[in-house]
Amino acid sequence: MALKLDFTMDAETNRQYLNGHPVVMHSHHYLALITKMAGELGDIDGVGILCDVVEETMRAVFDDYIQKNGLTSAQDRCNVGREYFSVFGLGKMVITGDEHGGEVRLVRSHLDEGWVMKWGNSSGPVNHFTRGYVAAMFGAAFNKPLKSYTVTEASSIAAGDAEGKFIIKAS
Amino acid sequence: MTVMRDTVVKSLAKITVQGDENGLIPEYEVLVNLLPVKLLNTFSERIMAAAPPEMKAKVEEGLVRAAYECGYHTGCGIITSDIFNDVVLPMVTEGEKDILRGAYAAFTAWGWAKSGIVQLKEGEKMIIRAYDYYEADSGGEGLRGFMLRGLSQAFFDLAYAEPYPDGMDTYVCHQTKGIEVGDPYGEFIVTKK
Repeated sequence: MALKLDFTMDAETNRQYLNGHPVVMHSHHYLALITKMAGELGDIDGVGILCDVVEETMRAVFDDYIQKNGLTSAQDRCNVGREYFSVFGLGKMVITGDEHGGEVRLVRSHLDEGWVMKWGNSSGPVNHFTRGYVAAMFGAAFNKPLKSYTVTEASSIAAGDAEGKFIIKAS
Repeated sequence: MTVMRDTVVKSLAKITVQGDENGLIPEYEVLVNLLPVKLLNTFSERIMAAAPPEMKAKVEEGLVRAAYECGYHTGCGIITSDIFNDVVLPMVTEGEKDILRGAYAAFTAWGWAKSGIVQLKEGEKMIIRAYDYYEADSGGEGLRGFMLRGLSQAFFDLAYAEPYPDGMDTYVCHQTKGIEVGDPYGEFIVTKK
C-alpha cells in the first residue's frame, strides 16, 4: 500500500494541509529541544505528556485515513502509521507483531540523528515521541482504544546503538 | 527594487516537503520535519497547564527557546539556500532589511505566520504584525505566540548580531498583542536584550 498524499494550501492564510490535517515544518532543533524540555520536567511528567499528546494526535490522523480509505486489514492499517512516519520526515521503521504486541526497529530516525547532530550521544534513550507514535500506530492497526499499548525503548540511535528498538506490549 | 513580498510568497508557497527514501528531510543544513499543528499546539497547552504557577515562566521560556534555536540554525540555512538565493536575493537592495523582509515572506509562504515587518530601526528594534499564526488556535489562556517570538528573535540575531553562529541571544522578542486574546493581529517587538 502506498499512502495517498494530498498536499493543499489555504490561499488566504497559506497554512498547509496534508490529507486535510494542518501541518507545519520545523527542524530537528525544535523536536530535540521539546524532547529535552519534557525530560527535564519530571515533576509534571513532561515525558508522559509528550507521549500521550503524540499518541492522541497521531491516532486521529491515522484513524481518519483508515476510515476514508476503507482499510480493514491490520497490516494495511499499520502501514498507514509506518508510511506517515517517513512522509513526516521522522525516519524509517520496520514493524513486526500482532494485536498482543511486537517490535519496531528504527532504521533511521529524525529525532535520534538530530539529537546527535545537536548534542552528541545521549546518556540513554530519548525518543519518547516515537513511543507515543508507535502506541498510536498499534492502536489504529488493531482498533484498540488509546493507551492500549505500553511502548518501551530498548535500543537508541541517540545513545549510540546502530538502530532504535521499541518493544510493544498490550496493556 | 526591494523585496516584493507577494512575488516571494507565491514562489516559495509552491514548495512542499516530504521524507526521502530514508524517511528524512535534509534541507537548509538541518533535518526538517512536517508535523500536525494539533500535536504542537496540544503539547504546548498540556505542558503549560500541567506546570504549577511558579514553573509556567520556565515552561514558556522553553517553548520559545525551542523555536528560537530552530529559527536561528534553520534560518541561517534558509537565507543561504539556493531557493532563497534564486527568489529573494535578486530583489535585495537594502541589505539586512531586505533579507528580513524576505524572511517574513517565507514565514508567510510556509504557513508559519501570515506576518510582516511594520517598523524597523536597523540593529535596534523591529515590530512585527501577524494576521494568522497557528498558535493562535491553541486554546490556551493568554498570549501564545511562542513560535513567532522565537523566530523573530532568531532572524533579528541573524541580521544584526555577530555573524552566525556567534550572534545568539543578542536580541529578545516580546509579544504585546495576540489574536488568541481577541486582538485583530498578533504583535511582536524585538529589542536588544
